[in-house]
Amino acid sequence: MEIKAKIKDDIVTVKAMAKHPMLTYDVAKKQGVEANFITHISATVNNKVVLDMSTSQFLSKNPIFKFSFKGAAAGDKITMTWVDLLGATETTDAVIK
Amino acid sequence: MERRKFLGLGVFAAAAALAPITLSAEDYRKTKPAVWTSHTVEDAIAKMYGTGAMIEKGVTVTSPDVAANGGAVPVDFSSDIAAKSVAVFQDANPESAVCVFTLTENSVIDFAIKIKMKQSGTITVVVEGRDGKLYSGKKTLSVALGGCEG
Repeated sequence: MEIKAKIKDDIVTVKAMAKHPMLTYDVAKKQGVEANFITHISATVNNKVVLDMSTSQFLSKNPIFKFSFKGAAAGDKITMTWVDLLGATETTDAVIK
Repeated sequence: MERRKFLGLGVFAAAAALAPITLSAEDYRKTKPAVWTSHTVEDAIAKMYGTGAMIEKGVTVTSPDVAANGGAVPVDFSSDIAAKSVAVFQDANPESAVCVFTLTENSVIDFAIKIKMKQSGTITVVVEGRDGKLYSGKKTLSVALGGCEG
C-alpha cells in the first residue's frame, strides 16, 4: 500500500492506494475465478483508530482514497491495514509529514 | 503492598491498555451482512440504519457530471455534521453498498474515493449524525463506459 500523510492546520490528510484487483462477482464468474476484493481497511495513529472502513467490490481496481483526521502531530507513525474476502492482509507504515 | 495484589493490578493495567484497540473497529460486513447484498439503495439504507427517513441537506457530494471511465469514478464527499458513520451507495451496480466509514471523535468528514459504476446512476451518501438523524447528499452522473468489466 502506498501512503502519503501530510499535516496542515492540525488536520492530517492521507492519500493512499492499495494494490488489489478488486474482482467483482460478475467479472470473477466470466473469468472462472473466485471473486476477491478488499472488505475492510483501517488506519491507526498512536493506537487510536483514525480510519475504519468496510468496503464492497465497487471500489475501483487498485483503490485510491483520501481521508482526514485531527489529533496527530508531524512525525507520528500511521499504520494502515487491509483485509480481503479470502483473508489476505497487508499492513503498511508511514510517517506523517 | 502485598506481592499478590501488586501482580493483580498489573494484569488489570495490561487489559486496560489493550482494550481500546479491540473495541474500536467495527466490520459492518460481519455485523450487517444484509446491507452488502441489497439490490436497491432504499433497501440497503433500511438494512443499515433501520429507517429510510433522511434529511437531504448538510452533505456535499462531488463527482464529474460525465465520467469517462466507469471503472474509476472519482467521488468526493464532505460534511460538517458531528457524525457516527458515513455510508456510500449507488444504483448503477447489481448491489448498492460501496463502503461504510465508522467515525471517531478525531475524524473529519472529507473523503475522496474511486468507485466502479456499470452504467449511469445516482450516488447517495448518508451521514448518521450523533443526534440519531440521517442526513444525505446525492449526485447523479452519466457514465460513458461502464466499469464492471475489470
